[in-house]
Amino acid sequence: MNVVLRAPRYAGVGLVWAWRLTFGALFPTTCKYEPSCSEYAIQAMRKHGILKGGALAGWRLLRCNPWSHGGHDPVR
Amino acid sequence: MMHPLLATVPVFSQLEDVMKHALHFFHASLGLPWAWAIVATTAVVRMLLVPLMIRQLHSMQSLQQHAPEMKRIQQKFKHDKQKQNEELMKFYRENKINPAASCLPMLLQFPVFIALYYTLRHFNTNFLCTTPLAANASKAATAHWNAACNATVQHTDLSFLHFIPSIADSATAHWGGYVLLVVYVASQMASGLFMATTAQKSQRVIFMLMPLMFVFVIARFPAGLTLYWVTTNLWVVGQGLITRRLVQRTPAPAPEKRSSRTAPKDDDGTSGNGALPEPAAPKPAPAATSQPRQVRRKKSSGRRR
Repeated sequence: MNVVLRAPRYAGVGLVWAWRLTFGALFPTTCKYEPSCSEYAIQAMRKHGILKGGALAGWRLLRCNPWSHGGHDPVR
Repeated sequence: MMHPLLATVPVFSQLEDVMKHALHFFHASLGLPWAWAIVATTAVVRMLLVPLMIRQLHSMQSLQQHAPEMKRIQQKFKHDKQKQNEELMKFYRENKINPAASCLPMLLQFPVFIALYYTLRHFNTNFLCTTPLAANASKAATAHWNAACNATVQHTDLSFLHFIPSIADSATAHWGGYVLLVVYVASQMASGLFMATTAQKSQRVIFMLMPLMFVFVIARFPAGLTLYWVTTNLWVVGQGLITRRLVQRTPAPAPEKRSSRTAPKDDDGTSGNGALPEPAAPKPAPAATSQPRQVRRKKSSGRRR
């Protein structure tokens, strides 16, 4: 795909990394899902672009609550 | 650190507003000094998260019950970490346990942090010099406003236990701030230990080293923010200690087949099982609770931690 078209998703992945290195590292947690929420966000955005991938990541974050069971949950 | 442009995002200014009112409530209505108002606000935030801790507690209990099966899985896939992780996750899902924390509650701390950051950065105009200076004020009026504001600031106790002179100044402005930063690093490491109990070893090393790097960033933030962090960390550590206690003590209903298999081996005979039926009879309740406790303590010592 065109680099220009892919630029937004790289930006999205960059944002996730920025999160990981700053605030995410300050409040160390392990995710109950595998891959973890941030890894899931990166994979989802790489695969589906920033809009759909971002939405998928957002939905995953909502699922990653204390009332869910976690587990293996890859990007489809 | 954070771009000033972010302050113009309406959500952030609303967050700041909420935090402003919370701090003001603790200061004006309950009469707490400003620094303690921050501590109180932090405590309230953590209290709201206590139900989540109780969830966590339950899953830690069931984790202990399933420790032998998990060990088996770990043994089986000990050469393939990825596969091992997947299998463990599958096992968690099948048995409806989730030892790891969820991301969402952690994420909820972010708005609190942002709100406090901006509230403290605009501390003077938020709380002390609340009459706004007109945009077209003359030079004399501006000077007068500044002088009045400075006087108010000077006469307000912004200190924390008098060794940090102002929670609105950066932590490095005074030696007391350095003390606070050291306490921060220590408490962050300690809370990292509790929060990352399920993490792998390499990950835990990162959790331990992170505060050493972040202390340089945090040093530039208002000291009140470090105070918030220290309070949060101490709360997490206290919560972790209590949780561990409870997990070790509470006899969660053990699955039948497991207890019947492990009990005879671990028993010293006092807890029944037909060996000494008569002496055990007078006090059935303590015997009933002591048996699973013993079994479970044995399990917990075998846990990777």
